[in-house]
Amino acid sequence: MNARYWLDKINSLSKPPQTFNVLNVCGGHERSITQAGLRSVLPQWLRLVPGPGCPVCVCPEADIALAITIALKETVSLLAFGDMLRVPINSAALHKLLPKHIRSLENAKAAGADIRPVASPLEVKALALENPHTQFVFFAAGFETTMAPVAAMMSEFFSGNLPGNISFLISGRKTWPAVKHLLDDEQSAPIHGLIAPGHVATIMGAKEWQFVANDYQLPTAIAGFDSESLLQAFYCVRYQTEIKKPTLQNCYPRAVKPEGNKLAQSTLEQCFSVNDANWRGIGSIEQSGYQLRAELNNVNAQLKFAGYLDEINEAFARDSMPKSCRCADVVMARILPDQCALYGKSCLPRQALGPCMVSDEGACRIWWSAGLKGSSLQ
Amino acid sequence: MKEKKISLAHGNGGVYMRELIDDIFASKLHNDFLNTEHDAAHLKLNNSDWAMTTDGFTVQPLFFPGGNIGSLAIHGTVNDLAVSGAKAKYLSLNAFLEEGLDITDLEIIVSSMAIAAKEAQIDIVTGDTKVLPFGHGGGIYFATTGIGERLKNLRLNHSNIQPGDKILVSGPIGNHGIAVMMAREAFGLSSDITSDSANIYPFVECLNALNTPEKIKCLRDPTRGGLNMLVQDWSRNTKLGVMLKEDQLPIEPAVASVCNMLGYDPFNLACEGRVLAAVSPELAQDVLQLWRELECGEQASCVGEFTCEHKQVVMETSIGGQRILQALEDEPLPRIC
Ligand code: SF4
Repeated sequence: MNARYWLDKINSLSKPPQTFNVLNVCGGHERSITQAGLRSVLPQWLRLVPGPGCPVCVCPEADIALAITIALKETVSLLAFGDMLRVPINSAALHKLLPKHIRSLENAKAAGADIRPVASPLEVKALALENPHTQFVFFAAGFETTMAPVAAMMSEFFSGNLPGNISFLISGRKTWPAVKHLLDDEQSAPIHGLIAPGHVATIMGAKEWQFVANDYQLPTAIAGFDSESLLQAFYCVRYQTEIKKPTLQNCYPRAVKPEGNKLAQSTLEQCFSVNDANWRGIGSIEQSGYQLRAELNNVNAQLKFAGYLDEINEAFARDSMPKSCRCADVVMARILPDQCALYGKSCLPRQALGPCMVSDEGACRIWWSAGLKGSSLQ
Repeated sequence: MKEKKISLAHGNGGVYMRELIDDIFASKLHNDFLNTEHDAAHLKLNNSDWAMTTDGFTVQPLFFPGGNIGSLAIHGTVNDLAVSGAKAKYLSLNAFLEEGLDITDLEIIVSSMAIAAKEAQIDIVTGDTKVLPFGHGGGIYFATTGIGERLKNLRLNHSNIQPGDKILVSGPIGNHGIAVMMAREAFGLSSDITSDSANIYPFVECLNALNTPEKIKCLRDPTRGGLNMLVQDWSRNTKLGVMLKEDQLPIEPAVASVCNMLGYDPFNLACEGRVLAAVSPELAQDVLQLWRELECGEQASCVGEFTCEHKQVVMETSIGGQRILQALEDEPLPRIC
């Protein structure tokens, strides 16, 4: 069965009285959907809505501010995934600590701080081994899919194989608590079906998503990243609605098992505890953040550089998006990216005002790169 | 220029680089010969027609599957001349070497250069070397200049392009970009993907022998910025739209799967041994036939056409959807997760 088959099946479904909103919660899904132009071939009644799929977009300002401060004031080399470098924070709050013109890691880099983009934890380890006299701080923001390989590297601390010159600044988040938060949020668009994230489920197991069907009576399907799997998932959630039997279906069985990847889960467990955590522009979400365990205090950069924390936390007590940027509303599926007044006008990939236009996982950037405009959610 | 400082994005073949060239170099250095939309300048010397080009090479790492900075420097220069309709004859070479560079590495690189030069039937007739202090300059940088004799029949210019003209590519795209990226080992991925770095002159020479060479409108080689950037250039310069067909783009499965993993689009990645041609529709099949007989041309394909119905670059996706392609703005920033 190929993509065309599932498209025909969707087209053979009867048109519901209202638009049927299907939420995806993974930047990779949104990218696949947009790049394949799926919206332009699906029937009008089926609306695909991007949600919380971008870890960079929700990384709190305080975390970024701490990374910037460490990079500027300490003799360390700060490593971060490339998309983190350009994320802007509101500098007004930072004035006491840092010069005015610095509002992103990229600015700090231009001002002379040793900040290097990396693509994977492996690269971090290689750099640390190659440069034994440099102290590295690895600033890692990400969901389960990023945190699992980070934890795998971090856990080498226990076996004595982690190079002694690395410490970690972690801004890790779990996906499902944000989805729950969104489904409870009255301002979010009404959601009629959920496409659960294939990569996250590969690691954490399909079971994690059962609550959506059970507690919210919401049709749910786990999808992979090709058109075939995505279209099958869209069909499944609509079909479940037609037969009034919301359940969890796995449309990515090749990779996703009910229990997930046990080894990766136990490594995550070994390195992190899970706590309430702040999501930029959204606020605190229960049990959604990864925090380094006490056993890893020696490599915890947040403790190492705790001296800056009070000032930063005070400055960013009100964590927010850049002025007029509606990234948090995009992440929470309250609006579609092109409903932000700045989209494609003052906010473009080359001069991104908000994180959703910076990161390759951000819905604004994905939409803009594919020329999407003129849609409406409400 | 809007930016205050040079950033890496000014070198990626995209919008920033175009502004850098237009706003600073072209605006201050303009003369009758300089046309920054072309890969080479056309000159008349002693009553015969020549083309001259220049290029710089800073690839990291110096060695990658399918080549090294030495072979790349020869291919890059020869190819720029080829797509302006000229057969390369003579090259100059500047080598900027970094203190601490391994002499054995240098020997290997210069030997590959010699092999590539011989194969392309060119002579490196003058050169210069400089040594930079440690930490200044990635091991080796090369700068080359090449001159070549223009082929009699080909008169290539994007202003000849008309609606309905077809866009052909001589082989699979994205290999060089991915091969170099993999060689950096940042991703912990391994693959058998090799760079397509090669001399593309045979693909141009065979067109010169056609009965109606005037129906070959324009040739380019999709290096930095990939196929997309060239098509964007053509669209901007001709004020025509372009329709591309995703399922006609030749992409090797291994390249497609790495691209998928990293979130890259193969049509934004560099090739170093491919030709993109804009040709009259009635000639498209003949050209494809000629190309498919050449080494590395088996997968030559017609990937799209020019249209006056809109002014954008639009790709029809495999499933029949539409996607508007934008010119690459900043560097893509991959992460593995
Ligand atoms: S378009 Fe820009 S300003 Fe608007 S929500 Fe997206 S990132 Fe924020």
